[in-house]
Amino acid sequence: MKTPENTGDHSANTPPATGLAGWIDQRLPVISAFRAEYVDFRLPRNLNWLWNFGAILTVVLVLMLATGIFLAMNYTATDAGAFLSVEAIDRQLSGGWLLRAMHMTGANLFLAALYIHLFRGLYYGSYKAPREILWLTGLILLVMVMATAFAGYMLPWGQMSYWGADVITKAVGAVPVIGGALEHIMTGSDHLGDVFLHRFFVLHFLMAFLVVAVVGLHVTAVHISGSNNPLGIEPKTKKDTLTFHPYYTTKDLVGLIIFALIFTALMFFWPNLLAEPANYAPADPMHTPADIEPEWYFLPFYGLLQSVPSKFGGLLAAAGSIVVLFFLPWLDRSPIRSARFRPLCRVGLLGLVVAFVLLAVAGKHHAEGVWMIVARLAGLYYFGYFLVLLPLAARMEKTRPLPSSIAAAEGDA
Amino acid sequence: MMKTTRLLALAAAAFLSAPLTTLAAVPEPLVPPHQKWDFDGPFGQFDQKALQRGFMVYDRICSTCHGMKALTYNDLSGIGMSEQAILDLAHSKMIAGPPDVSGQPTSRPGRPDDHFRSPFPSDEAAAAMMGGVAPPDQSRLAVIQPHGADWLYAFLTGYKMPPPADAPVVPGKFYNDWVDGHLIGMPPPLMNGMIQYPDGTPATVEQQARDVTSFLVWAADPHRTARHRTGLWVVLYLIGLLVLAIAWKKKTWKRVKSQ
Amino acid sequence: MTDHSDTTESTEPGRRDFLGMVTTAGVAAGACACAVPFVQSLAPQDSASAHLPVDVDISKLAPGQQMTAVWQGKPVFILRRTPEDLKQLQDAALVADLRDPDSSVLQQPSYAKNWHRSFVPEYGVYVGVCTHLGCVPVYEATTGGDNKGRYNCPCHGSKFDLAGRVRKGVPAPYNLPVPPHVLVSPTQLRLGESPKGESFDFSSIVQI
Repeated sequence: MKTPENTGDHSANTPPATGLAGWIDQRLPVISAFRAEYVDFRLPRNLNWLWNFGAILTVVLVLMLATGIFLAMNYTATDAGAFLSVEAIDRQLSGGWLLRAMHMTGANLFLAALYIHLFRGLYYGSYKAPREILWLTGLILLVMVMATAFAGYMLPWGQMSYWGADVITKAVGAVPVIGGALEHIMTGSDHLGDVFLHRFFVLHFLMAFLVVAVVGLHVTAVHISGSNNPLGIEPKTKKDTLTFHPYYTTKDLVGLIIFALIFTALMFFWPNLLAEPANYAPADPMHTPADIEPEWYFLPFYGLLQSVPSKFGGLLAAAGSIVVLFFLPWLDRSPIRSARFRPLCRVGLLGLVVAFVLLAVAGKHHAEGVWMIVARLAGLYYFGYFLVLLPLAARMEKTRPLPSSIAAAEGDA
Repeated sequence: MMKTTRLLALAAAAFLSAPLTTLAAVPEPLVPPHQKWDFDGPFGQFDQKALQRGFMVYDRICSTCHGMKALTYNDLSGIGMSEQAILDLAHSKMIAGPPDVSGQPTSRPGRPDDHFRSPFPSDEAAAAMMGGVAPPDQSRLAVIQPHGADWLYAFLTGYKMPPPADAPVVPGKFYNDWVDGHLIGMPPPLMNGMIQYPDGTPATVEQQARDVTSFLVWAADPHRTARHRTGLWVVLYLIGLLVLAIAWKKKTWKRVKSQ
Repeated sequence: MTDHSDTTESTEPGRRDFLGMVTTAGVAAGACACAVPFVQSLAPQDSASAHLPVDVDISKLAPGQQMTAVWQGKPVFILRRTPEDLKQLQDAALVADLRDPDSSVLQQPSYAKNWHRSFVPEYGVYVGVCTHLGCVPVYEATTGGDNKGRYNCPCHGSKFDLAGRVRKGVPAPYNLPVPPHVLVSPTQLRLGESPKGESFDFSSIVQI
């Protein structure tokens, strides 16, 4: 705050740190690197509230790691002990119920924030050159986070954990040729028990830290290419940008506190809104609970899985819905990034959100009758949007004119 | 074109099937009447007196058939039981100990950090003794059971003796309004004046049902009171912080916006 | 314009700085409060049951024999001393070779602060954890002649006599601790409870 010179190219005008900080910085320039990337770093001046979710995801990730480590200290990964060890965390461990509540709420809201973050990328065309790698690392993170969430959901070893594991391992078994072997590697023995739980516990723990590593790549990529913005045009002059601190630190802070309020409300007052009550019954291989369904964040994919009559076909559809996103930078050839200037895409994206929600609702129901039709139509639309509409729109769409610069659009030219 | 036709067909199908679904729901869903509970809602808190009475009902009646494995006697400090009372209670329960030197099973008086003693040595034994169905564990019953507290109360007060004239009669089964098929193997557990509350509250079936329901809800969610209290403080803190942060953000951004 | 705004930053730092500092302090306070459940969960989970007295059946313990019971997770030696053993404990030559022959350091309840360091002379009761670095000493019975009974620590060679008193010139600094104990019947010893009218908090013993 004492440095008035935010005007220069970042890091160039920052006075060298003195004293101990300077001594360290000369030998290992962590302080100046931090200043360059998180204080003086310049971002487009027109980032809206949807750009808060990067910071929100970072904070929730840290919270997940911290609570996860402390929960792991009290968890037992055995068929006989897992359920009771989680009960003991919830009941007897001092402060344990709060740690577990944070971890559970955090998992749900992490996925929610991730979907919003992803949608923002879709809407404003953040996957286009030069941000393809940024987009790809983001998608890798999505897959890793989903795998981590799934593995984590196994750990309490309640009814939903057990039967979720059962359904997914059987689905993996539907892969032609290698399916049987894959299923066997996943379960680790002839039944879902100690070996399975132990593997998934280690996997869950390990994946969390791999996620941190890939987040490092993701953040590096955004600091190389710079942030996209709601207009989707690159900043040209310094007028188009603002420094990270104090402008976006203060804005992120407001977003974070609002997010924390939602987090708190769910965690303290409506803890069972997101949790599945059946998972409070211990795993029982002899009785399948009445309505098994995955956590809400997997429902759209579950809807796709159910909509295809063949087991392997369903698996392909669910996996394909994510794989297709990896090709997005090359499917959408339009030079215009932001959907603000692409009327057709804008409507198409709205439809995509509706299709995604419909798939989730269909995933909540048994795949029959109306819901089967809804799931198929929504699934068709989902793939149609990426594989047909976007490539066609690049050629046919009548786009709106782009402003000459960010500052001009903000009325500040 | 294809899509439009399908969409139209879908709309038509949905329209047509709407009355069908209402017709299909002929066996009316068992939605118990809503009761007023102290612990309901985001600010609800448990009434410790009711919990203590409820534990008495659980201890004297429910626990003869139902386990509550996840709880330890120490956890009862959460319903306001004193350390000495917990020690005495635990001591009065004989818990299976390790086999003795000749391999014979032993038992020992319970300790405060023992888990609640289960009435049966295993679920299989319970099922064998209770007509094929093991009485469910009650640690989280109030969460797992749809409609939780309301259903528990309705169920406990829903036995009809004798059953209504048109109800099927099966020996060994009892009529209850609030179970699927209206028949259940569990006999009516509560009777007027079956126990005496030390605080003088008349132990009617309704009173016992209310108290034990409170206790079961507490057992399923023992930190609810603390959770609601902590949550309130955290929300107040966050709102205060939000006001500060918004002011700081506005002040900072004014320099950009006002130009 | 951005340039202009950047200069205003330096001309009116007061209020923004104050607001920023208060907000930052608020965030920091919140983060610290978040640490509470984490720290709480690390608190040692002392099991209340471990502090309950343990009854030990000593009916099968022959003179000259030692048995090990478990109390508060620690091995407790119960030694039934022979009359020769007891005579030996009062031998002046032995006493001269002890670091703390009168048990002046708090390692035992007051009712065991005597030459045999126990409630009744026949039974010696010690926590079998060497006061040096916590290994479990090994009992060596008196086998007549010069082979006087003693405890040897396998780790660093500390030696204790049959009253658990440490010899001179060994690394262990203190006598073996004596737990609270009482003979409830001729065949039953209770660990963790003191005789009527006495009390002893075992956690008050001197440790390095």
